[in-house]
Amino acid sequence: MTAATAGAFHDGSSRAAATNDLPRLLPPVQDGKRPPDLAAHHARHGDLPYRDRIGTPASPGALISDVEKSGLTGRGGAAFPVHRKLAAVLEAADRRRRTPAVIANGAESEPASDKDATLLWLAPHLVLDGLQLAAEALGADTAILVTHADREHDVAGRVRQALQERLNTRLDRVPVQLAFAPGRFLSGQETALVNHLGGGPSIPTFMPPRITERGLNANPTLVQNVETLAHLALIARHGPRWFREAGTPAEPGSMLATIHRGDGQPKITEVPLGLPLRDLLGEPQQTPAPESAVLLGGYHGMWLPAARAATLTLDNSSLEPAGARVGAGIVISLPPDRCGLVETARVIRYLALESAGQCGPCLNGLPRIAAAFVELATGRPRPHTVEDLQRWSGAVIGRGACHHPDGTARLVRSALITFAAEADRHARGRCSATSTAPFLPIPAAAAQTEADWI
Amino acid sequence: MTLWFASRATGIVALLLLTAVMLLGILVTRQGRLPGLPRFAVSGLHRNLSLLATAFVALHVLTAVADGYVNIPLTSAVVPLTSPYERIWLSLGAISLDLTVALIVTSLLRRHLSRRAWRAVHLLAYLSWPVAWAHSFFSSGDLQHGILFVIALICAIAVAGAIVWRLAAAARDVPRAERVGLIMAAVHDRTSRGAATGPPRANDRDRTSTR
Repeated sequence: MTAATAGAFHDGSSRAAATNDLPRLLPPVQDGKRPPDLAAHHARHGDLPYRDRIGTPASPGALISDVEKSGLTGRGGAAFPVHRKLAAVLEAADRRRRTPAVIANGAESEPASDKDATLLWLAPHLVLDGLQLAAEALGADTAILVTHADREHDVAGRVRQALQERLNTRLDRVPVQLAFAPGRFLSGQETALVNHLGGGPSIPTFMPPRITERGLNANPTLVQNVETLAHLALIARHGPRWFREAGTPAEPGSMLATIHRGDGQPKITEVPLGLPLRDLLGEPQQTPAPESAVLLGGYHGMWLPAARAATLTLDNSSLEPAGARVGAGIVISLPPDRCGLVETARVIRYLALESAGQCGPCLNGLPRIAAAFVELATGRPRPHTVEDLQRWSGAVIGRGACHHPDGTARLVRSALITFAAEADRHARGRCSATSTAPFLPIPAAAAQTEADWI
Repeated sequence: MTLWFASRATGIVALLLLTAVMLLGILVTRQGRLPGLPRFAVSGLHRNLSLLATAFVALHVLTAVADGYVNIPLTSAVVPLTSPYERIWLSLGAISLDLTVALIVTSLLRRHLSRRAWRAVHLLAYLSWPVAWAHSFFSSGDLQHGILFVIALICAIAVAGAIVWRLAAAARDVPRAERVGLIMAAVHDRTSRGAATGPPRANDRDRTSTR
């Protein structure tokens, strides 16, 4: 059904035309922000294409092979090939004679990202379709969708309503449970998520075992970002060739991006991978001011000078030589009236407070890094502050159960490079910012007791 | 007779090495340090000394079996209650050897094991060492007189003291969820008073040690 259905969507004759079918996941803009019900969902995307065949490692079902051909990678940030995770769970379940579990990860914990909540609000049925298809392909008997309870929009209520619609029409074969993650930065990390669903605190656990091997209740467990599952639901309908019509050959498909530009609400938009960052950052013809900077990949990401960012495209093959990654698709353009060091200091302080407190280098290192960065930002740096920051960030990399210290160190180092001129200014007691209003979003409350992690 | 003397000598050296390994292991669990050594060197020393101790245990067992002065079959080295000579005290040696082998093998395969499984086996060290000490002390008269008696006593007191220290330190631990806030407060206080923010210091660790 691949080519025929794809043809119905667009003619596919040229690259420019190929990306015209976006948005794929979110409802078309003219439909407004009204969430579609199940009937509208089926009218737009067609029925859920069950395949009635659980794969085995020797002969994985059609879905896994379609996903492999499509080249879909995880959209939660790590960009891990989806078919390899599916195959790993299938293999472990077969070898250990266990029934796998599937978890849709909507526990979006990055304060600067809002794409998962937006997707769950505007297209919950697409995510739930993907969850069912993944459960079917693996023969899973447990399907859980995890989100946050305290969002601005009642995402949980919206998902509950969608689940009720599906229950009424007996659409789902595997019953879906709704679960909530605490509002911690590390909650969305997949081992933290499984630990939490298993009744523990929402903190990352040590690997091995991998959760594809021993996850929820010691069963092989697939954790996929909700956006990844939505893409999977479309690949099951339209086939891998259709999926590859957007994006680049190495990194096919589209992704949801959260764009922060100037003050005000961030914008969630669906873009093909490989899109020039210039198109996302706006004012394409204007040369950016020498001081302006862009934060790519969120709070574990990388500051780059805006002029440099404008030469790159939104895919890992373009960003990795610059030290950055696509991550969960967060692109933040720092307004010219703000100080990058002040903004980064607030983020580093937040990240230090969000350490799970279980690995020494993270627990002891991040608060010191944050304190030194605050010195740099508040204009009272000592002669060795920058050097200390360099050394300490080097000392924490690769020394945690998760990548929290690594990501924080990356942000620190990129800020020291991108805002080097501003750091010199601060050393002389000056700052180029004209506004002190906080720009980057930071959640208010830090964890204080164990209850904040449950 | 040479082998018999060699067996007794290597046995004593093995006990001293195992005691050192035990003390270092307890130090590692609390992320303690030795003067002049970085923290990772303490765990490195623990690991390397344990392999050296194993070599001495192997020599001790093989020489005892090979020697004809008393009759100890090879199986008695690993199976308790099978030795015609000193049945009870040699059984303790066999038990301790079996536990030691489990500790070494799981540590060599640690990369492939879950942390929980490795730790469960590793805790057997607290059983293995006292059993090894009892075997050393009671199976021959060597440790029951003179300077060797004092050394055996010092070993026992040192390990017992280290265990008490570990339990007491664990009881004083700050709950995980409160550690970060405590360190943040300490570091930022120091900054705001204008004192130097140094690299992590030993006294921070005492109150906030990690697992």
